[in-house]
Amino acid sequence: MKRMLCGWIVGLTMVAGAATAPAQAPGGEEIMRRSHLAMYYPGEDMRARITMRLVSRDGGERVREMTMTRRTVKAGGEQRYFIFFHRPPDVRDLAFLVWKYPGRDDDRWLYVPALKLVRRIAASDKHTSFVGSDFSYEDVSGREPEDDAHKLLRDDTVVGRDAWVVESVPRESGSADFSRKLSWIDKATGLPLKEEYYDRRGDQVRVFTAEELKEVQGFWTVTRRVMKNVQSGHRSEAVLADVRYNQKLSPDLFSERALRAPPVELTR
Amino acid sequence: MRAAAAWAAVRRSTVEWSADHPWIVIALTLLLTLAFGSQLPRIKTDTDPKNMLPVTSPVRQYNDQVEGWFGLHPDVLVVGVWSPDGIFTSETLARVNRLAEAVLRLPGVIARDVVALPTVNDVTVVGGTLQARPILDGVPRDAGEAERLRRQVLGNALLVNRLVSSDGTTTALYVPIEKSANGKLIAAEIRRIAEKEAGPERYYIAGDPVARDTFGAEMFRQMALFSPLAGMLMCGVLFLMFRSWWLVAANMLVAMLAIVWAMGLFIGLGIPVHIMASMSPVFLMAISTDTVHIFNEFTFRRREVGDRRQAILQTMDAVGTPVLFSDLTTIAGFASLAIGPIIPVRVFGLLVAFGTLVVLLMSFTLVPALLALTRQGRSAAAPRELEPASRWLGRVGGICVGWKTTVALVGVALVAVSAVGIAKIRINNNLIAWFKPGSEIRVADAHLGRALGGTATLYLVADGRRPDTVTEPAFLRALEGLQRRIEKEPVVGKTVSVADVVKRVHRVLNDDDPTREIIPDSREAVGQALLLFSMGARPRDLANLVDNPYQKANVMVQLRSWDAVDTEALLAVVRRHLAERPIPGAVLKPAGIAYFNMVWNDEVLIGMLEGFIASCVLVLFLLILFFLPWLDRSPDMPISVLSTLSLGMAIDFAIHFVSRFQQRYRETRDLEDALIWTAARPGLGIVRNAVLFASGFAVMLAAALTPYITVGAFMIAIMLLSALATVVYLPAVIALFPGRLTRGL
Repeated sequence: MKRMLCGWIVGLTMVAGAATAPAQAPGGEEIMRRSHLAMYYPGEDMRARITMRLVSRDGGERVREMTMTRRTVKAGGEQRYFIFFHRPPDVRDLAFLVWKYPGRDDDRWLYVPALKLVRRIAASDKHTSFVGSDFSYEDVSGREPEDDAHKLLRDDTVVGRDAWVVESVPRESGSADFSRKLSWIDKATGLPLKEEYYDRRGDQVRVFTAEELKEVQGFWTVTRRVMKNVQSGHRSEAVLADVRYNQKLSPDLFSERALRAPPVELTR
Repeated sequence: MRAAAAWAAVRRSTVEWSADHPWIVIALTLLLTLAFGSQLPRIKTDTDPKNMLPVTSPVRQYNDQVEGWFGLHPDVLVVGVWSPDGIFTSETLARVNRLAEAVLRLPGVIARDVVALPTVNDVTVVGGTLQARPILDGVPRDAGEAERLRRQVLGNALLVNRLVSSDGTTTALYVPIEKSANGKLIAAEIRRIAEKEAGPERYYIAGDPVARDTFGAEMFRQMALFSPLAGMLMCGVLFLMFRSWWLVAANMLVAMLAIVWAMGLFIGLGIPVHIMASMSPVFLMAISTDTVHIFNEFTFRRREVGDRRQAILQTMDAVGTPVLFSDLTTIAGFASLAIGPIIPVRVFGLLVAFGTLVVLLMSFTLVPALLALTRQGRSAAAPRELEPASRWLGRVGGICVGWKTTVALVGVALVAVSAVGIAKIRINNNLIAWFKPGSEIRVADAHLGRALGGTATLYLVADGRRPDTVTEPAFLRALEGLQRRIEKEPVVGKTVSVADVVKRVHRVLNDDDPTREIIPDSREAVGQALLLFSMGARPRDLANLVDNPYQKANVMVQLRSWDAVDTEALLAVVRRHLAERPIPGAVLKPAGIAYFNMVWNDEVLIGMLEGFIASCVLVLFLLILFFLPWLDRSPDMPISVLSTLSLGMAIDFAIHFVSRFQQRYRETRDLEDALIWTAARPGLGIVRNAVLFASGFAVMLAAALTPYITVGAFMIAIMLLSALATVVYLPAVIALFPGRLTRGL
């Protein structure tokens, strides 16, 4: 009940934010806080079938298919993720569990089916690649807005959608793999439409684009997202299919036991 | 015959006009020189071995593909940090950390792909928890932590001899740089950063881009310093021969004009200067000494003919044709280099050919104009008719004619012996060896070769031909077998492949059990190990070794030697190994800078040397057999055909010898006398010319870069040997087969 309430509050703030926008634009901090909720916290839980394509500069492809589930313990705060791999065949049944805490390192576990082993994974580095893609762990589970200072720069449009352009600079320079980030936040949904990451020398490194937005059960969702490393030419594309919110996922799913024996509906 | 008449008419009218309008000729020359000269400041150098082959060459295209598949960079600096107490102390590691930080910020450095202790993630297991973090993640606080790090690093097969030497005294940073960046400047930046650190450490900076760009800078020095020096030396020799400063100055003027015009044209066209082209000024100076014949003849005629204009015209009548022919053969010889596949050789050939064309043009325009203006000529000391050297040459000629059969046979035998020698030539191309021992870059390279795996990179790319081949255990085991085999070769310092990654992760997953550092038996275990690695490491760490579809694997081989012959020998070992133990379903192809150097080596140097040797050996004999009967008729087809076999310069001697011999024979009708006279009189000119040529190239012996020394020595040898062959073998051969040369005279 409490969680549902959270969802409502998020939804209401978004609507309120959008409604008041013409009169008085919210500040950068406010926009990013809302965007964080819109992107990573819609619904009390969520599941989706993700097809991730890793494409190198010369077009060589690697495809991974997984089911991701997410359960929010506290809106804007603690969350749990369960990721089950379907394809390619050699990594089938591999499963990954993340308990995300605000303000401290995540807990992560991995089940390696070939060795029938569960291994805990230290999560000191959130900038490392998510399963070899151009997305980092942070891109998947969200970087806490409080870690950066945000400034609203201007208004802009991205593919016909009105957006705020916000500049984010890490409060602690070592805490991020970027020195500066520009985000184009959709005024209507609060979702990031585009993000540009800059390295310490000020050169652009990665560009995120939301290529497809869909409304699912009243929640706007980025169902096709691309992260491109403009320096290496490598890019990763994640397509979310079969997105469902508020499935009343059991907390037991996000346990070490479920890693070894996940419920059948996730592994199909 | 018609061609000859037409040529004579054109020549005469050109010379007459030039002699009548000297100031116009000089003004026009000056104008054109300014136009070409204004291009000189735009000079660019190119020392990248890749640009030796055209963009369309298969080796180059494949190399680019390999770099694309595995996200590799063609230009990588290697920075070594050595500490007498070993690098695993808090102080040294702090310095390594600071150095890496600073290097990552340097413009031109591809920061995301810098490989160093602070930027490479290691996957370890501590108390059952897998950890992926930079190897040097913050500086160890005390000796205990440093010792733990030392054990961790030295226990990781992926790192030993690549990032850290097995004795723990040296660590390396691999710094890829942008294609547009200058390796020498970045190396200097890094050196400056390192100098700020006071400590017992020593820093070594090596790698192909440093060598190349240092070499490029050295090339400018070479051109700026050695070309004028060569010019001065040749001036000195010219003066000793002719005792006329005026003649020396005019001769050098022609040389300078040829250099400025040719270099100006090529630089203006945007063509970069390669090592070969940087030697062209010395070649052009040597070639322009051809005008000596004109000045020489003029001093005689001026004395015989009172009228200066008449003397000029007669001079050009006498020497015009030999000058034309010798310049044309030179032009054809150098231009024929443009047929070959090697870009710098093409540029060099065309540059010298164009410069020679300028010399030819000057010979019939500027030189007559200068002669028309000068009051000199009388004061130039006449060469004494029979100097001791000349008498001696005459005696040699006499002996050669007397013993013609023996001399000819000895000549044939020598050619046969040289042919055997040529077959045994092992050409070796080594960019680092282009620097002298003791130079900073060689010291750095030697240290990194000794302590670590070396700085030359070879890629062995195994293509499984369909996706996911790489995850097959049999494929990985074959790859591993190949690595173990080539690691036995002393030249191989380190090999890394996806097999090493799989083994490492497998061990870590099994609680760091060293006995589990093996390739697992199932394809699933391999795939899962790779996925796990890609979750912990930086994407490039895996991408460098396996392509996205897991179809191709890259064995990165570090070589301790830049010698092309070592690469060649190693590839032979690889081939033999694969013949016995093939990688299932895969084909293996080499790439990388070490392979490139090898291919380049084969194509460039062997091709060039063949050209040089063919020119000095074949020309002298073929010339006599085919070329000379045509000499007085039309200079078309045979010249260019023959010239493809030669570099044209050695032919000059033969042309002068034979044409002067024919003149003498026409007068005396005595074969033996004509031969001995030719050996004594024009023979002296030929020897002088050769000494002059050689003195110009002798300056290159003092160069700081060995290719200049080699080419210098080679050219000196060619000049002196071909002169010797002209005065010794030509008389003998002509005496043996007089018919062809005297027929129709």
